[in-house]
Amino acid sequence: MPEIAIRTQKLTRRFGNLTAVDGIDLQVTAGQFFGFLGPNGAGKSTTIKMLTGLLAPTAGSMELLGLDFAAHPVEVKRQIGVVPEGMGLFERLTGAEYLQFVGRMYGLDRTTTQRRSNELLEFMQLADRPKTMIADYSHGMQKKLALAAAVIHGPRILFLDEPFEGVDALAAGALKALMARMTERGTTIFLTSHVLEIVERLCSHVAIIHKGRLVAQGSLDELRAGISGEEGSKTTLEQIFLSIVGQDGTERPQLEELSWLM
Amino acid sequence: MADVAQSVGILEQIRLVAGLRWRILRNSLRKKNNRLDLIGLILAGALSSILVLGLCFAFYAGAYAFFSKGRPGWIASLFWGIFLFWQIFPVLMAGFGASFEFRTLLRFPLSLSAFYVIGLAYGLADFAALASVCWLISMTIGATVAKPGVLPAMLMIVATFVLLNVTLERLIGSWLERLLSRRRTREIFLALFVLSMVSLQFLTPFLNRYGAAARPVFLRFLPYFAWLPPSLAGRALAAVTQLRPAGFLLSSATLLFYLVVLSALLWRRFAAQYRGEELSETAAPLRAVVRPAAKKAEGADGLSLLSPQVAAVVRKEFRYLTRNGFVFLTLLVPPMLVVLFSTQFAGKHPTVSGKAVSAEMFFPGMMAYLILILMAPAYNSFAYEGRGIQTYFMAPLRFREVFLGKNLMLVSVLTLEIVLSLGILASRVGLPSLPMLVATLVAIIFTVVGQITIANWSSLNFPRKLEFGRMRGQRQSGMAVLIAFGTQILLGGISAVILFSGRWTGNPWLPAEAFAFLAAAAVAGYFASLDHLAQLAEKKKETLIEALCR
Repeated sequence: MPEIAIRTQKLTRRFGNLTAVDGIDLQVTAGQFFGFLGPNGAGKSTTIKMLTGLLAPTAGSMELLGLDFAAHPVEVKRQIGVVPEGMGLFERLTGAEYLQFVGRMYGLDRTTTQRRSNELLEFMQLADRPKTMIADYSHGMQKKLALAAAVIHGPRILFLDEPFEGVDALAAGALKALMARMTERGTTIFLTSHVLEIVERLCSHVAIIHKGRLVAQGSLDELRAGISGEEGSKTTLEQIFLSIVGQDGTERPQLEELSWLM
Repeated sequence: MADVAQSVGILEQIRLVAGLRWRILRNSLRKKNNRLDLIGLILAGALSSILVLGLCFAFYAGAYAFFSKGRPGWIASLFWGIFLFWQIFPVLMAGFGASFEFRTLLRFPLSLSAFYVIGLAYGLADFAALASVCWLISMTIGATVAKPGVLPAMLMIVATFVLLNVTLERLIGSWLERLLSRRRTREIFLALFVLSMVSLQFLTPFLNRYGAAARPVFLRFLPYFAWLPPSLAGRALAAVTQLRPAGFLLSSATLLFYLVVLSALLWRRFAAQYRGEELSETAAPLRAVVRPAAKKAEGADGLSLLSPQVAAVVRKEFRYLTRNGFVFLTLLVPPMLVVLFSTQFAGKHPTVSGKAVSAEMFFPGMMAYLILILMAPAYNSFAYEGRGIQTYFMAPLRFREVFLGKNLMLVSVLTLEIVLSLGILASRVGLPSLPMLVATLVAIIFTVVGQITIANWSSLNFPRKLEFGRMRGQRQSGMAVLIAFGTQILLGGISAVILFSGRWTGNPWLPAEAFAFLAAAAVAGYFASLDHLAQLAEKKKETLIEALCR
């Protein structure tokens, strides 16, 4: 039986009267490239924050690599890497200093940290600015550095919140290749992105969250199979997404309502 | 064809901006921490109102006296007071300003003239401007009561003076904004600013020593001041009462000339902003010359006794300290103040008056002052972390390690500062008796460790983001300030009573013994608190992340 990397049970998060995440049951097998989709405000980032320890759930439980997060937060965090929303960088360090800081925070020895830091900076094409502070990096460079920091300790699960936003095509290609290689070697990648083409190309499995509830989960083929009609097998992820999220008719304003704009 | 937005009148746009600022303030009060700040704001507002009203009477009385006693030219001194306040106070108080970027309005369909007028109106909605206008009105009433015939000229001169001041204030603000748009310039400016503020402390001893010699030099330059706007306003009004129309015309025309020139300069600045002046500080892309990364191997780890996590936090804190011009500068201030106070209140320096404070009292007093200054930032110790705070919560560590690293860095800095100050004191004033020296040093351990525990708690509960080298919107949480103030008064009071107990009981070693007991209790309390604080950090992480990542 395959190892379960992420399992949530009735995971819930409320902010006052608003239930941002409403009792979701997620299950991600180790080594999967998992896409987590949803419209704006659906609860994607809140879920990632809970799964990475940045936000406490109001109810429910989470297990990562078989460990209960609430009971073993440090052990869990040692095995995961995160690129959070906003990236979480210390902007007054240089890229190399930040990677060395993160490496040491994850308990790597100095030599290993130094070596991996140099290799990652080279890979991310950030090595030509050794004295530039992160505050002076462009958005794309900051994103690449956040990715480097997330993998420096060789995590078994990688959480990526919009990882390709602002990253140039060249670097994005290299990153995708790196991620594909990581999943081949057993790393689980949990990714959110609004670019459905990327998710469709990279991810083997997908879950869709809508208004805080998990409305679909499975492999792309399983989701396609759920689409009725003979065109089901040719359906793109975008069509699946729209058919699931927009099925109550409230999500896509009719263009006729904006007649004053045309 | 899509509908196109209709043009909006300037008055309507000013109303919209005022409404926007009000809504920003109102919405910010929805948060509990900000409501606590409001209490502080109301208190500050009440005190400011008392000050403004009190000075209104003073300006009224001054103007009345000058005109009724035949000395109308002296009203220039009142104009000078208002002018200096209006131009200097906004720069000094920039840190307390609302964090609203006036330039963001440029995204809306405003004409350049509307942008200019809104900019001026925005300048009038400032505390310095409002207070100054109140004082100018009081002056006008005072002058009119003394000499009713002066009213038309007074109204004209005061209106010109108001316009000139608001234009100049906006011009200075606009140039400063341009100058400070780059981070490095901003930090240098802030460092120079703080240094000049500290240097002002040396003014009294300087005047005591060189005042008499500087007086003739100052008097030689005085006539040139007559051609500056406040003097011109006073001279114009004096000319009216002395029935010298030519003098009035010359002075008021020169005042108008100033206004026109300043307006033209401000128009140029606003026009540049309107055209989309780029003030971004993002570094320009490098040329395609790839430099190899610095690969020098780091030497032996000087922090090898610490866990990797604590050592990493200490290193990061050190790097942040050396890159934060403002905080770095605060380290220079305590030794400077030791030098300053020793020239005024203690020792045998020629500037010390006859009632010099003995080293027995001066030494503990100076140490208390140093701790007061150096400990203040610890009550909001995550202020400069920004989004980096998330790293602490994502990494596999307990938060006690973060506190240990941060506190270790703070204690190292404090130790360095105290040793440096001790050296200065020993050379300039002399050291106190051995029992007092020991008692003070142990008292430092008690107060510092005691404060660190409370400061850690305060940092978790009342975090407020501060940015490197920025002046606007850089305000600590009111509650953190209150806690720091209360703790320092409490611990300072306890320490003072214990220090004096040696004198009262006739046992000079009693304070040292009492402080040794308290210091041991404080150290034990500190280590006992770390786990509780780590749990609290876990509970408060959302507040922390929200406050620091915005």
